[in-house]
Amino acid sequence: MSSAVLTVDRRRARRRAAWRRRGLVLLFLAPWLVGFTVFFAYPLVTSAYLSFTHYDLLSPPRWVGFANYHYLFREDPQVWTAVKNTLWLIVVLVPLQVLFAFGLAVMVTRARMGVGIFRTIFYLPALAPPVAATLGFVYILNPVTGPVNTILGHLGIQGPLWFQDPHWAKPSLVGLGLWGVGTVMVIFLAAVLDVPRQLYESSELDGAGSWARLRWVTLPTISPVLLFAVVLGVIQALQYFTQAYVAAGVASGQASQAADVTAVSLGYPLDSTLFYPVLLYQHGFTDFQMGYASAMAMLLLGVSFAVTLVIIVNSRKWVHYGGATR
Amino acid sequence: MRRMRWAAVLACVVVVGASSAAGSDAAPAAPTKLTIWVGWSARELGVFKQVVAEYDKNNPNVTVNVVGSINDNKIVAAIRAGAAPDVVSSFNSYNVGTFCGSGGWINLAPLMAQSHISAAMFPPATRYYTQYNGVRCALPLLADTYGLYYNKDLFAKAGIKGPPKTMSELAADAKKLTVRSSNGKISVAGFDPFIGFYENTPERWITSFGGKWQDAKGNAILAQDPAWTKWLNWHKSLVDWYGYSNLVKFQAGVGQEFSASNAFEAGKLAMNFDGEWRVAFIQAEHPNLNYATAPMPVDDAHPELYGQGYINGTIIGIPKNGKNTAAAWALVKYLTTNSHALAELSNGLRNVPTTSASGRSPEIKPDAHFATFIKIFNNMHSTTSPITAAGVSYTNLVQQFATKWQAGQVKNLQAGLTQLDKQLDALVSQAKGPGVP
Amino acid sequence: MTSATATATPDATTFVRRKPPRAVRRRRLLVIVADHSLLIALAIAFLAPFIFIAFTALMSNDQALSARMWPHPFEWSNFTDVFTKAPFMTWVGNTLEYSILATIGVVVSSVPVAYAFAKLHWRGRDAMFIVVLVALMLPPQVTVVPLYVMWAKFHPFGFNFIGTLWPVIIPNWFGDAFSIFLLRQFFLTIPDEYLDAARVDGCGEVRILVTVVTRLAKPAIAAVALFSFLYTFNDFFLPLLYTGENSGHWVLSIGLSEFRSLHQVQWNLTMAATLLVMAPVIIVFFLAQRAFVEGVTLTGVKG
Repeated sequence: MSSAVLTVDRRRARRRAAWRRRGLVLLFLAPWLVGFTVFFAYPLVTSAYLSFTHYDLLSPPRWVGFANYHYLFREDPQVWTAVKNTLWLIVVLVPLQVLFAFGLAVMVTRARMGVGIFRTIFYLPALAPPVAATLGFVYILNPVTGPVNTILGHLGIQGPLWFQDPHWAKPSLVGLGLWGVGTVMVIFLAAVLDVPRQLYESSELDGAGSWARLRWVTLPTISPVLLFAVVLGVIQALQYFTQAYVAAGVASGQASQAADVTAVSLGYPLDSTLFYPVLLYQHGFTDFQMGYASAMAMLLLGVSFAVTLVIIVNSRKWVHYGGATR
Repeated sequence: MRRMRWAAVLACVVVVGASSAAGSDAAPAAPTKLTIWVGWSARELGVFKQVVAEYDKNNPNVTVNVVGSINDNKIVAAIRAGAAPDVVSSFNSYNVGTFCGSGGWINLAPLMAQSHISAAMFPPATRYYTQYNGVRCALPLLADTYGLYYNKDLFAKAGIKGPPKTMSELAADAKKLTVRSSNGKISVAGFDPFIGFYENTPERWITSFGGKWQDAKGNAILAQDPAWTKWLNWHKSLVDWYGYSNLVKFQAGVGQEFSASNAFEAGKLAMNFDGEWRVAFIQAEHPNLNYATAPMPVDDAHPELYGQGYINGTIIGIPKNGKNTAAAWALVKYLTTNSHALAELSNGLRNVPTTSASGRSPEIKPDAHFATFIKIFNNMHSTTSPITAAGVSYTNLVQQFATKWQAGQVKNLQAGLTQLDKQLDALVSQAKGPGVP
Repeated sequence: MTSATATATPDATTFVRRKPPRAVRRRRLLVIVADHSLLIALAIAFLAPFIFIAFTALMSNDQALSARMWPHPFEWSNFTDVFTKAPFMTWVGNTLEYSILATIGVVVSSVPVAYAFAKLHWRGRDAMFIVVLVALMLPPQVTVVPLYVMWAKFHPFGFNFIGTLWPVIIPNWFGDAFSIFLLRQFFLTIPDEYLDAARVDGCGEVRILVTVVTRLAKPAIAAVALFSFLYTFNDFFLPLLYTGENSGHWVLSIGLSEFRSLHQVQWNLTMAATLLVMAPVIIVFFLAQRAFVEGVTLTGVKG
């Protein structure tokens, strides 16, 4: 056979194989491709469109230009409180959770006895469903009948009003968040245990005490995991809904059944627990205002991008990827 | 030719007669299943179900399924998803603006005309809160009025002869009746003014001061109308006398509003601002409570207002896209205009009957406590809160302002109210969407 | 170790472990106790809420509303009351339906996708993976409004999706970004030799995936299944959105939060219900501890 025919055959065969490969890739990717288009990309585009309309789902969307954005940035009396509260979560709750989880993990590694028991005890609350945990906390922190203030009273301390006080409502939610750091703690535990012992030993030889070892050996080595925990925490802070919704609803329900009917309970008390996703839910799904809620969603999109970008760019300065399995 | 014209006239008469028969009182012939959603639950739901069972018995071609514990959110969600029931009822009229404005509840005027029901059957206040922009999409189904409940035993112990009639008397009596424990905590409160406690919301208070919400154009006038400033200042001085955190603690420690350990029923509260339904609850849960009812006290400067109160009430309507409009309308008509049904509901729920005819019905069981509320309902100064396109968000915004004010977070009341007016107007135009007058 | 006694004099050939001086020993002991005491205090603080919840669950309603902390008498009937006073079993059924269907969907759809990202080579693979990560970072509230509109307007054969759990279940059958990410990271660690050997034997890629890869990646797949189950079991926001007004389809998290409206916040029953909702997850944890911890570790360390 002539070599020219052979090459053509081979080329055709290779092209056929390439097509078969592409088909295979498409087959494997199919569920995600469909899902991404239908449940993510299309809604994102529609959200952008709806943000320029007035839409209550009962009549067709009506184009209103920038009116929603005007109301969002200039006139909605609650939006900036909601934004501040969500940013508060990112700046206060996330670092506290990461540090607390890390601290717990380090303490557990240094424990000689009962490591398994401690790990279990610290992980258990993370398994509790958020609604159950929130209900439990609101009950326990009832300023008059709850066990926490009762115990504090026996110790002679006048307990704060917790979920009934606008200055203590967010800290109470932080307490709830810290109670549930088990998952992050276990991740840190594994990461800290993974730090190569030679690094510790060589630093000990150089005369480093335990704090110095923590600062110069442990932290840098597990910095990718730290970044992961921070990003996870920030993502959760930007979506924070369930605990705020349930806590506000129950805490205000303790005050008045009328709260159920007039829906003033969201953000109780005094908008201190009004986070951005909660306000979005209220405007979109209790106030008939889906166009406006879409405008709020666009703002959330922008802020999420910006915050995640800032963290990741910033992380280059302090995250060391040497030795990680990549 | 003439025969043709006569035939045409005859045909028209037949068609008109048939259509009016179709829209008349008779329910359609085929057996129909209707679903009605109501806000009541527990004991009150039982009362409503009994009345509906009677309707079922008298209309064998219709069976009605009653679903209770409904709130406005559920109604809204169902209508939007196209899964609404045949008849819906809401505990209050706050969202009539949105229901009527969006067409979520259908316009009842043509159905009323066909059944010869005129809106004049219903008292003026109820007529206002069941329509928006001239579209009547709801009818009142029993009304609520608010007044003062007071504990006669505690009054006797404190040496107070009769209920307070003015705000200064109310404040003075409240202070006399309050009992504090050794550490400053309130063990018995004379009166709890806290906005957010039980039924305390601004719209129910402001009627005692004759306050107006909107001017003729629909703009908010809370800053211009001196009644609001007067009320808020009076209110804050009483809250400060009790101590803000003392009131919060009191609230957290007393029973739920709709449980048998309600603070007033349990004797922890000497005077309470509550609706007329409380009479039935006390009858069922604490029949031995020695109490009496009176209209809410009024502004010292306006004694002529005494006897009035805040009116609102349950409304009932038909969601759009329903399949059994004729049967649904028959049920709505029965519940809202049949004096027997209204009297039974009123007796069981102790809510105010909403037609002039049923108010005079001999079936209403007389009750001295309840009679106060019927008088309040008929008082010409009694008013309700504004119906706007923003629905319940309108009064909610005012309530949020009042809670901030009572917590001391508003430094300048006048400036705060001016800003509130602006926010209210922006809220309404946002809800309507730009370009809509 | 005949010569290695504490009192033996040190000798050039033997190494003797001498007891450190008392001051150093005491300091070390104090440090140990200090470390442990803090841990013990924290452990008590972590367990305390469970204990309080358990106590309240055993109180009568009046006691639960008072400041008393010890139930007297113990109302064990509260746990059965939860089932009779509320449609608890319906909620359990709905939750299981959601969790099981969603978990199966996540596993079945995410494994091939992750494999394509890890072991197949195609143009734009890495760029697409960044897109997956981006989807992971965005809050669901960004797309929730149009999705709701979509489901509200979609009526095939007259079926109403709003009010059921299907809008929440169905997207899980089209891949879940977090699971794809996790599985891909794990698949990357599978040595190519296994796959090449299978290819040489004549296996098609599908066959490789089903037989070789799934068997090798069992811990990762188990972790993904576990996390999906846990996440959907605890999910509140999406079920609230779609079934909030249809109590027949409530899941446990919604039922629990609405318990108060049904029964005027009977806290003793609410706490009993809370315990009942927490119990199965905790029991599963104890039975599958290793899988849990491995799974969590995989998430963090490979991430």
